[in-house]
Amino acid sequence: MNPILDVKGLTRIHGTECPSCLDMTGPEHDTNVCPACGSVVAAANVSFSLQPGEILGIMGESGSGKSTVVKTLYFDQAPTRGRATFRDDDQSHELFNLNGAEQRWLRNHRFGMVYQNPNLGLNFNISAGGNIAERLLMNDLNHYGDIRRRASELLTRTDVMVSRMDESPKQFSGGMQQRVQIAKALATRPPLLYLDEVTTGLDLSVQAKILDLILEIQHELQTAMIVVTHDLGVIRLLASRTLVMKYGRVIESGLTDQILEDPQHAYTQQLVASTL
Amino acid sequence: MNPNYRLPNSQDSYGFGFLDEFAKREIRRVILKAISIPGYQTPYASREMPMGRGFGTGGLQLTLSMIGPDDTLKVIDQGSDDSVNAVNLRKFAELTCPEVSTTESTTEASLIQTRHRVPEIPLRENQVLNFQVPYPDPLVIVEPSEAKRKIMHGEGDYARLLTKLYEDLVKFDEITISHRYPTRINGHYVIDPSPIPRYDVPRLNQSKALLLFGAGREKKIYAVPPYTNADPLVFDDVPFRTENFYDADGQRRACARCGCTDSFLDELNLEDGSKAWQCSDTDYCNRQLASTEAGEVTQ
Ligand SMILES: Nc1ncnc2c1ncn2[C@@H]1O[C@H](COP(=O)(O)OP(=O)(O)OP(=O)(O)O)[C@@H](O)[C@H]1O
Ligand SMILES: [Mg+2]
Ligand SMILES: [Zn+2]
Ligand SMILES: [Zn+2]
Repeated sequence: MNPILDVKGLTRIHGTECPSCLDMTGPEHDTNVCPACGSVVAAANVSFSLQPGEILGIMGESGSGKSTVVKTLYFDQAPTRGRATFRDDDQSHELFNLNGAEQRWLRNHRFGMVYQNPNLGLNFNISAGGNIAERLLMNDLNHYGDIRRRASELLTRTDVMVSRMDESPKQFSGGMQQRVQIAKALATRPPLLYLDEVTTGLDLSVQAKILDLILEIQHELQTAMIVVTHDLGVIRLLASRTLVMKYGRVIESGLTDQILEDPQHAYTQQLVASTL
Repeated sequence: MNPNYRLPNSQDSYGFGFLDEFAKREIRRVILKAISIPGYQTPYASREMPMGRGFGTGGLQLTLSMIGPDDTLKVIDQGSDDSVNAVNLRKFAELTCPEVSTTESTTEASLIQTRHRVPEIPLRENQVLNFQVPYPDPLVIVEPSEAKRKIMHGEGDYARLLTKLYEDLVKFDEITISHRYPTRINGHYVIDPSPIPRYDVPRLNQSKALLLFGAGREKKIYAVPPYTNADPLVFDDVPFRTENFYDADGQRRACARCGCTDSFLDELNLEDGSKAWQCSDTDYCNRQLASTEAGEVTQ
């Protein structure tokens, strides 16, 4: 099977890049700030592929570049260089060569994103149902009754009480806000979903239920996902393969079980040991 | 506008129509562009006029840039020819366009400048209606950044505007927008048709007359060319509804003055505390009154 996503050499540098940026940053230099020019190398030469229906984990400490990778793929920010090929049915899209309109179309129709901060993913000035309606309307569903029906189906599926669908998600608990975000992301049945620290900051019991929901969705809809987290437990539960990042570089990648059993890089060994 | 305004004594410094020829030519060029891209808010260099912006300077600049000595001008404010605002604008045109005739009759006018209404009598192909527009962009309620609004217009992306309508239906069981109803022109751009009532929105559709919209303060001109589709934004299963003027018994109210039951009515509070309804379009009301009176005379 062809990968749904192929990422090659993805690099994102904040600041005016100089010739030393890549040589003088990374794990062996213990920094992601270029000493010559002060630019931040948020991600450098990140390459991986993702199979349809697969969950890939990206793990690493704060500032290692995890969010940068998904944000560029979701077009929240542009990469400095690199390519990403998205295969959708029989069509292949070079993500970073598309124009703004084409990128927005993919983002609204074929990708879904769930942010750590529900503020970024939801509009608190409108109802939970309205948040989902907006995404359905972007997909040219223009029938009020159908929109209501589909929004309540999605909320039911993500265990949000339909009786609260007309309330602003501002009043919801953190776990419920994430469920609304997931419902919204799934509204268009996208083949590719990005999840950035979706359970961070939630109670353990709430975390567990959301992780279950994510697994169920993957089974039901065969959605491919990239799950970003600094939590090894999340990786262990969800991801079949994992990238470990540090200072913008992928330092280790492979089957999650293998990485957890037999970490190669000293940093990963440390990480695994500290959570056992 | 200052009602006592007089042109300076040396009238030579002002050309016909107050605006200099260069300004008129630029506005005409913008009008042509606006007609070529139906519903697109075309930017233009709005001129200073001797009245505050927000008093119809956008509509007036349209009028002054296209009016000629053969034209007959009508100016209405909420349907009325003799409100202060309409009188002032008409006087200004009389002052600055010496040979132009003015009228209160919709049928006699070749050019009509309007604030917040479309005349009741259907317009013809050889008429132009210039709207005074306070707020040209319907997306401003959902997107504060003009740069982003431009992209949304360009891509025909009105999902967030429709979400607003969705929220209305959820909260109130109906769409509550009474004026400035977002309307899609020629299947693409959505316009703010200025604060006309919903009652007038269907009149924008396949209009025989050219409809021009001028926003002086916001420096935008847009157009609904003749025979162009104008569709209010709605859901497939929630039809667009206009004001119906039914009373509690389901009877269509009649105008207290002329008795007609087919015009947009203004609600009046009478001195005794009761209410009455009367045509908002004074020319239409006068016309109905004259024809009933004529009818009574012949009977
Ligand atoms: N706009 C920006 N300007 C400068 N530096 C930035 C900018 N955005 C991110 N960075 C830096 O890029 C690096 C990678 O950031 P990123 O958000 O990808 O990290 P992360 O792995 O997601 O961290 P966390 O776990 O804290 O979310 C960090 O050092 C961050 O400070
Ligand atoms: Mg992050
Ligand atoms: Zn550098
Ligand atoms: Zn009347």
